[in-house]
Amino acid sequence: MAKVLLIEDDSETATEIMAELIGRGFDVDWAATGIDGLDKARRSGPDVMIVDRLLPGMDGLTIIQALRKDDIRTPVLILSALGAVDERVRGLRTGSNDYLTKPFAIIELVARIEALLRQPADNRDTTLRVGPLELDLLARTAKRGGRSVELLPREFRLLEYMMRRKDQVLTRAMLFEEVWNYKFVPQTNLVDVHMGRLRRKVDKPNEPPMIYNVRGAGFILRAPA
Amino acid sequence: MSAAPASSSVRLPEFIRTTTFRWTLAASGALAFCILLMFGFVYWQTAAYMTARVDGILVGESDMIASDAPERRLKAIHERLSQDPRRIRLAGLFGADGGRIAGNLEILPSHLPMDAPPQRVSVVRIDGQGREEQTARAVARRLQDGEVLVIGRNVDELPELARIVERALEFGLIPALGLSLVAGALLSLRAQNRVEIVNKKVQRIIAGDLRERLPTQGLNDPFDKLAGIVNGMLDEIEALIRSIAGAGDDIAHDLRTPLTRVRIGLERGRESAQTLPDLQGVVDQAIDRLDQSLAIITALLRIAEIEHSRRLEGFGDVALADVVREVGDLYEPIAEDKRIAFKVTADVEPIVRGDRDLLFEAIANLVDNAVKFSPEDGCVELALTRRGDDCVVRIHDSGPGISASERDLVARRFYRSDNSRHTNGVGLGLSLVNAIVKLHGFRLTISSGPRCVVEIACQALEGRSAAEPASLHGAGVARQIADRR
Repeated sequence: MAKVLLIEDDSETATEIMAELIGRGFDVDWAATGIDGLDKARRSGPDVMIVDRLLPGMDGLTIIQALRKDDIRTPVLILSALGAVDERVRGLRTGSNDYLTKPFAIIELVARIEALLRQPADNRDTTLRVGPLELDLLARTAKRGGRSVELLPREFRLLEYMMRRKDQVLTRAMLFEEVWNYKFVPQTNLVDVHMGRLRRKVDKPNEPPMIYNVRGAGFILRAPA
Repeated sequence: MSAAPASSSVRLPEFIRTTTFRWTLAASGALAFCILLMFGFVYWQTAAYMTARVDGILVGESDMIASDAPERRLKAIHERLSQDPRRIRLAGLFGADGGRIAGNLEILPSHLPMDAPPQRVSVVRIDGQGREEQTARAVARRLQDGEVLVIGRNVDELPELARIVERALEFGLIPALGLSLVAGALLSLRAQNRVEIVNKKVQRIIAGDLRERLPTQGLNDPFDKLAGIVNGMLDEIEALIRSIAGAGDDIAHDLRTPLTRVRIGLERGRESAQTLPDLQGVVDQAIDRLDQSLAIITALLRIAEIEHSRRLEGFGDVALADVVREVGDLYEPIAEDKRIAFKVTADVEPIVRGDRDLLFEAIANLVDNAVKFSPEDGCVELALTRRGDDCVVRIHDSGPGISASERDLVARRFYRSDNSRHTNGVGLGLSLVNAIVKLHGFRLTISSGPRCVVEIACQALEGRSAAEPASLHGAGVARQIADRR
């Protein structure tokens, strides 16, 4: 059971997050102040931390700096009401691993926590495999079973990202930030359209589907049962 | 009863205390000092020249008389003295014992060295008009028979020369100084008057009259230039304040409307939902509407961030053609889904100075709009071309277009053209583009007509193209900042 440390001063928000995470099988510990949070982070050794950016007593970024100084590399997700792009960049530079702006959909938070817990292994293989799907990173080719899948460069990037994170829910915002590396919120359902393209190439009508749409959340790539 | 000390009650006129007047005083002082130096130099050089000339004559005459035979000397001395209507020539022949033999010198000047170059000495002149003490240049020669010959010349001309120089100074310097002081006072008064006028206008602006502007006199002097700069700043402030005032109303409207719908929907759902799926439907709708409100807040904060933080630190060299192609790549499937013919072309490969992410966002927003407003089977064209010195990003679509009367309004926050009321979006896209374009010092133009053409005109870095290695150019930013004025 993964241990999550939540450092959040608003008790109502904290209660909701804890209820959701406990419901999903996480072991959650809560600290309402920065000092208490830093203390718990050092003593209990959580697997992942959720840290509010603005906290009474000790600021969220200061906590992360203190932990990194002690060489504690626990993945950290910052929650912040400061949504500015500069703030996000500052947060990531300080040593946090992800940044989520308030208000957020709870499913977005869960997906990002899962992603942090299952950071892709530093895989040196030049071929990625999920079920019958095979991606050759050197030749830039894809195959599903014996069938070759013709991909455009942007589709290749998207599929590579998903294969490295198979069985994980990937939200639209995560894909947009990570695959396209864009920092703005598109007005159109860009990710859905690109995903639709990819899905039509990966999952032919007669094949069991591998790319699933998770309603209200995002997408997931899974080997057929 | 004693009078108050005079110094405490004396208050200098305002114009005398101005910097202009003080600078005038300093400049006049410096001028006077220079003139004094110059006149002193003229006097010194003239006096030295005259003295040298007199000395030359004295040496020549004394040589000539000394070389004469003893019997001719007395005659020569007599002749020299007789041809002297101005009474400036001095001569004397003295015996070996110092006794006077001939000439108009009463005694042998005691400090005059023998056979030396001419010296300045004090002598006593005696002639038909009496006895007179004079200052003279003189030379003494001991002759072969032991007699001493003294030849001299009165140099009262030198003090006379000094007096002439003094008078010239009086006539030249004093009026010049007076004139410069008057000019300084006038300039100072004029500057003070203009400051006073400006102050009155500024007071009106402070009091809230934002339409007031500083006066200019069309003289192109520093004052006019300064007034022009301040007026430009006031234009910007006025536009900002008006847009903030307008935005306040717009925010109230565009945020309250979805929130009101959320509230009504939730209330009705609570009262009337019979089953769990009914209630879930109501909640889903409420979440959608809340998301819409949040999207508005996010967009507003983003615009504020771009407009106010002036994030020039994120600036670098950007290969614009790459950005255009990337936007094309991102939107191509969306256009295709709507069966819109989407054409992306880049004729040039310019490098511009800017924030790559923001430029991407601006172009993506415009393409997003174009695709959104084009009907199915329509066409959208994204092109990067050169026009004169500028490179232009042009987005051209077959949508309903924007009427001339709406063109300025569409860049305003929340403005949504009547044609767009039924399309998704928060009405902030063009405001965002406008903010980004302004930050870069580029120009955004929206053409009216049945087809919509939006252009961003950018200054490319001189003589640079994407093929060359990129390096940072401080001048680029400076130019953009200057252009923004």
